[in-house]
Amino acid sequence: MSVNQPILEARALAKRYGRRTWALTGIDLAIPQGGITALVGPNAAGKSTLIKTWVGFERPTRGGVMVAGIDPWRDRSGVLRLVGYIPHPPALYDGLSVDDHLDLAVQLRPDFDRAYARRRLDELGIPGDQAGKSLSGGQQAQVALALALGTRARILLLDEPLASLDPLARREFLHVLTDAVRSDGTTALLSSHIVTDVEQACDRLVVLGVGKILLHDTVADALATHWLTTDAGASAHGEAIGSFGGPTGERLTLLRTALAATAATNVRPATLEEVVLGYLASGRGKPGEAAA
Amino acid sequence: MRRIGSWLVLSFRLLRWEVLASVAGTALLAAAMLWFTWQLRTLAATEPACLDPTTYVAACEQSPQPFYELSSRAELLSYLGWAAPFGMGLVLGIPLVSREIEQRTAGMAWALSRSRARWLAWRVAFAALVLIVLLLVVAIASEVLASAQMPNRHLDDDFAWYGRRGGLIVVRGLASLGIGVLLGAVLGRVLPALLVAAFASVLIFTAISFGMDRWTEADAIVQPYGVDLAGGRYLGQRVELPNGELIDYGELQRRGLSAEWFQDDMIFAREEDVGHPERMIGRDRGLILPGRLYPQIVLRESGIVGGATVLLALAATAVVRRRRPG
Repeated sequence: MSVNQPILEARALAKRYGRRTWALTGIDLAIPQGGITALVGPNAAGKSTLIKTWVGFERPTRGGVMVAGIDPWRDRSGVLRLVGYIPHPPALYDGLSVDDHLDLAVQLRPDFDRAYARRRLDELGIPGDQAGKSLSGGQQAQVALALALGTRARILLLDEPLASLDPLARREFLHVLTDAVRSDGTTALLSSHIVTDVEQACDRLVVLGVGKILLHDTVADALATHWLTTDAGASAHGEAIGSFGGPTGERLTLLRTALAATAATNVRPATLEEVVLGYLASGRGKPGEAAA
Repeated sequence: MRRIGSWLVLSFRLLRWEVLASVAGTALLAAAMLWFTWQLRTLAATEPACLDPTTYVAACEQSPQPFYELSSRAELLSYLGWAAPFGMGLVLGIPLVSREIEQRTAGMAWALSRSRARWLAWRVAFAALVLIVLLLVVAIASEVLASAQMPNRHLDDDFAWYGRRGGLIVVRGLASLGIGVLLGAVLGRVLPALLVAAFASVLIFTAISFGMDRWTEADAIVQPYGVDLAGGRYLGQRVELPNGELIDYGELQRRGLSAEWFQDDMIFAREEDVGHPERMIGRDRGLILPGRLYPQIVLRESGIVGGATVLLALAATAVVRRRRPG
């Protein structure tokens, strides 16, 4: 695989459950090697389905996906060699201690780096002899992350590991993840519906609407090129992406422009959360439409 | 060695309650069987001549009564030995995959293990090991009990307690384990899988038993109906027509003949024919598998059930490789 080749790819990917329910409708996405990419979208947007397709747990209905040039459905074991995965929710075994989980990982994957995973947990003060199920939600998520990191995989696919964690646990999780990604040169894809948490940790942002990609950009560019206005006629300053209700009931419109629109009245830089909200507002539609 | 030790410990912890319940059940059953064995042997030793069916001793008119009372209770116990492989096989087999799916741990486990087939083998091997050890205990205990309950019979060549003693118990247990694993993987829920697997076990083993009976008919001998089996296995009732043809009662009816009256082993259609052997429809016969064929038949059934177990294991592997983790 060349350096420039995307490490995670989806081409015209569509996934249907049953006869009618489309979870993904024509996804084209190429995530480059390195850094953390946030996959953001509301519930039922298809985030888990997309990640499971990359892990080889879901078969595309149409199109296909690649992980480092490998088709996961044709060579699942080849892909699993490259991937560390946290499912949603990150369930631990009833009746197994934290250290038992690490031993289990060694049993299932002989090259699992138990010492590395144990070190990560030691840094967080998570005792090895405690039952996995008796840990707090944040600690359980950390154990799941340690299991994914211990694989020493080149790619981490993390399916909503921050959901149901308190702010401190979320911060700790992201700190451990960022540290591991920066030091090991890993590529991580982190799905979440909490935008503010991923803003500091992620390099890239993918906004997934109901089954389709609404935005794929670096976080820096997304912030630099999006503006927010309460002026209905302000679309002259740039492309109007979508409108949504503000905290005080006002109607906010997200604008995309390469030019600084600061001269216009009622126009200000959008936060990442507002960028996401603007795109989600633009993407409201029936999931089946794009695929039909 | 350390790897094997870790496998045993982790596998036990993942299946703790099922293993403990199976061990407790086996221990109770084996203990009960051994207690009955001891009691029966003690009673038999006091009046050995009274238990010999070939001789009549007038003094024995009443004395073996406690032995026979205990013996009938021991026979009831032997049916637990028959049920043990089905119960334990399903209890140990069903949660292996279905609980992983139900509790959503399959996603993590299947992503950690590069091959789901290896993961399944890793899980099933422990359950199979536990099952084999426990059912061997049951098989031996029931064999010992049978020998105490039937002290004057040579049980190596005897169909008495067929399927309730010996190696068939272990083989049937492994097949039940296979049914449990497969249906657990298909359904992904413990309780529904338990109900469906129990029903499926009844169907599968009834079909095997029916098939075995049909297969072994060619080896059976014909003898007057109701005559002592002498270690043989009764396969069914037949009518021997005057021309020597052997048919079952259904076929007799299809030919427009009705067996209404019996005299000794002779069958008559009308009351007025009774007492006239030349007017009989035929003779009442039993189809019996001789006791000397016992080892051969056990081997045959073990082969069939073992083959079914391999097919179940392959099917379970195929399901686990293709299914969603939940």
